[in-house]
Amino acid sequence: MPHCAPLLPRRRAKRAAVPRHLVRLATALAITLGGARVLSAQTLEDAEMLQRREVHASVTYASEGWSEYWEGTLRRSNGNVGEVTTQSVGLRVGVGVGQRLTVIGSLPYVWTEASQGVLHGMSGRQDLTLLAKYRVANPLIAGRVRLKLLAVGGLSTPTSDYTPDFLPLSIGSHSKSAITRLATHLQDRTGWFFDGYAERVWRSNVTLDRASYFSDGHYYETNEVAMPDVAMYRGTLGWQRGAWCIPVGVSAQRTLGGADIRRQDMPFVSNRMNATTAHAEVMYFLPRTSNLRLDLGAAHTITGRNVGRSTAFMTGFTYAFHL
Amino acid sequence: MKGARIVALAMLGIAVLVSSCDKSIVEPNASLPPVEAASVDANAGSWKMIVLSGPDQVVVPDPTPVTGAAYQAELQAVKTAQANMTDAQRAAVRYWTGAGVLRWNEIERELVARYNLPPAPRADGSYPLPDAENPFSDPVFPFSNPPYAARAYSYVSVAQYEALKAAWYWKFRFNRLSPARNDPAVATAVAASALPSYPSEDAVLSGVTAEMLKLLFPASLEEITRKAAEEREAAILSGRATASDVAAGLALGKSIAALVINRARADGMSTAPGNPAMWKSLSDAAAARGETPWQSQETPARAPLLMNFGTVKAWTMTAAQVTALEPGAPPSTSSQQMKDELATVKNTIDNLTRDQLAIALKWNDGAGTATPPGHWNAIASDYVRDARMSEVRAARVYAMLNMAMHDVAVGCWDTKMKFFNPRPAQLDPSIKTMIGLPNFPAFPSGHSTFSGAAATTLSYFFPQARASFDAMADEAGISRLYGGIHYPSDIREGKAHGTRIGEWVLNVARADGAN
Repeated sequence: MPHCAPLLPRRRAKRAAVPRHLVRLATALAITLGGARVLSAQTLEDAEMLQRREVHASVTYASEGWSEYWEGTLRRSNGNVGEVTTQSVGLRVGVGVGQRLTVIGSLPYVWTEASQGVLHGMSGRQDLTLLAKYRVANPLIAGRVRLKLLAVGGLSTPTSDYTPDFLPLSIGSHSKSAITRLATHLQDRTGWFFDGYAERVWRSNVTLDRASYFSDGHYYETNEVAMPDVAMYRGTLGWQRGAWCIPVGVSAQRTLGGADIRRQDMPFVSNRMNATTAHAEVMYFLPRTSNLRLDLGAAHTITGRNVGRSTAFMTGFTYAFHL
Repeated sequence: MKGARIVALAMLGIAVLVSSCDKSIVEPNASLPPVEAASVDANAGSWKMIVLSGPDQVVVPDPTPVTGAAYQAELQAVKTAQANMTDAQRAAVRYWTGAGVLRWNEIERELVARYNLPPAPRADGSYPLPDAENPFSDPVFPFSNPPYAARAYSYVSVAQYEALKAAWYWKFRFNRLSPARNDPAVATAVAASALPSYPSEDAVLSGVTAEMLKLLFPASLEEITRKAAEEREAAILSGRATASDVAAGLALGKSIAALVINRARADGMSTAPGNPAMWKSLSDAAAARGETPWQSQETPARAPLLMNFGTVKAWTMTAAQVTALEPGAPPSTSSQQMKDELATVKNTIDNLTRDQLAIALKWNDGAGTATPPGHWNAIASDYVRDARMSEVRAARVYAMLNMAMHDVAVGCWDTKMKFFNPRPAQLDPSIKTMIGLPNFPAFPSGHSTFSGAAATTLSYFFPQARASFDAMADEAGISRLYGGIHYPSDIREGKAHGTRIGEWVLNVARADGAN
């Protein structure tokens, strides 16, 4: 049966074993100027469930760059930054807690630079994200399509004292967030599958090192910035055969509030950062090893608002073992 | 899978908890306590004028007697209006009883921040100039950068100070009591003051400030006009003034604004942007002295900010006096001292601590902010708020502070263009900055000059905080080294320059009869 073969053989025979697709999505789907979901969430997107006591450990490298961005809705370049590049090395560990519950943690180290101008790049440990995926239902429809419904919840918190006040070169928003997501996965026996989810990210206010800032037409004389929440939507169509698995899709980030970057202003942490991004991945199970997978991915922001028109590439390895 | 359900429920619980968090932003000064001045400053009408020839240069007509039918009808109108106040009007009364001078300074800081954005380049690499006659276009007018803002704060503060001194003069000449003192049935937001109410100080402030702000920020005319009208209405609703108090005050405020605006139109600001020929001659002159001339680090290259601002008229000194107090030359760009200072900048940036970055960001005061002069106005506001000053005494603090910062801006810009000294990132391209790099020559540091002048001035009015002001000025100065945009000598000489100008302006304050 064509599917992305599991990295590890099942320990116990399962009734009508569901082929686990391995949509290790590449990355940087919510590519922003440094906003909500940059590279931190790059591999937390799929609907994969692990067996109990199965562990997946991944190391990824990602690089995204843009030389044009949307200042509000105006697409432009800026000679004072040239191309802005954000690179990251991420560690991710997924653990199957039970047949219906998988927990994933991820932590990237991020560094930024601008190809032109005088602005200093920034670097540091970014945000720790923990997600719990709970399989709500798993019916077989019409005897040939497996439907999986997941409820996903998580938390994200900065792990270093980086500043969000140096966009586009800050490495993140330095906001704590809570994530809830409803995800679905459909897979038929010919190897085609569909993944989709809708997500809401609640974000905590952030604190700046300065006592005032201008946002949304008002000059705030406080160091506290209200962070609008974020909605994410994602749909992926994929195909799996033998050692290959190839998902392709579109994701949309919609920030639920926030102001546009003003004409010739710098971006600001609470801007309305929207992005519609196309992504494609290739996963390949390395021959002669049953538990090592090569992940490659690319993403491109098709249209956006207050974000970079970025192109991102990701590569990584995932290693699986049983506890 | 009981455990799994528990985890799922916990997740849901956290999400519900987080989503119900209150994210509203509370600004500390959103609600100011009503000001009950420690003294009414009955002699303020005799304090020395700055622009006007005297407090009676603009004549206020005699008020009608309080026993007359006209005034009694006005009192009745106050009481009727008070009985029918809407929630919005109550909020406006609370807002403006936090003191008009404080509120207008806050409003001006917002206007400066709103317009503090440089013009975007055209497709051909040139930069358009903001045009006062076409303020809504791209680029909007003004670009309220630090020198523009220093001048703007000073014009508003000086005009307010002049108008309030004149208002005090007429108030105590006519001695018409406040509505609440004439009629106990009139409600008051704060205890009825002994300050005579004709002409209304709130209306004077609304008139003079709105006229000045409309000149300086013409694209915000509607908002300014609304705020001014709200202040006048609040004066009546709070029981401080009647319609004739307000009408006389408004007329006085507007007339005095017109006199100050005459000065503004002739102070040289119109030629402050300079021109390409001047840019070239400044650069050539530095090269002829054997120095490396400043170059714009922006792409495309942008003319140095307001390169001719050094010829704008100062408030308290002649052009020759401005020059006499300026710093001497910076270290030569080819000197060992400059090499050492460049190495200091590089070493600082390469080893920057998080605390140093925080200081650089705290004092960045770059594009989109109220600028360093605005930052110091905000600092001053906290002290003015706590000092329970009369409006005219509060206006005096801002006038002296902002005259000092304007006058030091003139001297600072003159010095910057005279030496046309390059920034660290120009002499060593491996130096990258932690804050935006200002597009004008380095020597001396504008932040340091503004801060030296501000700390000196404020220390005179609030001597108990002298050490704190001085520490803030030092922190503002060193923040520019941490940001990677200034050499130590820029900062040292800048602060000394600012301190000299601050002392100079204090000579005006010491002799104005207000002590």
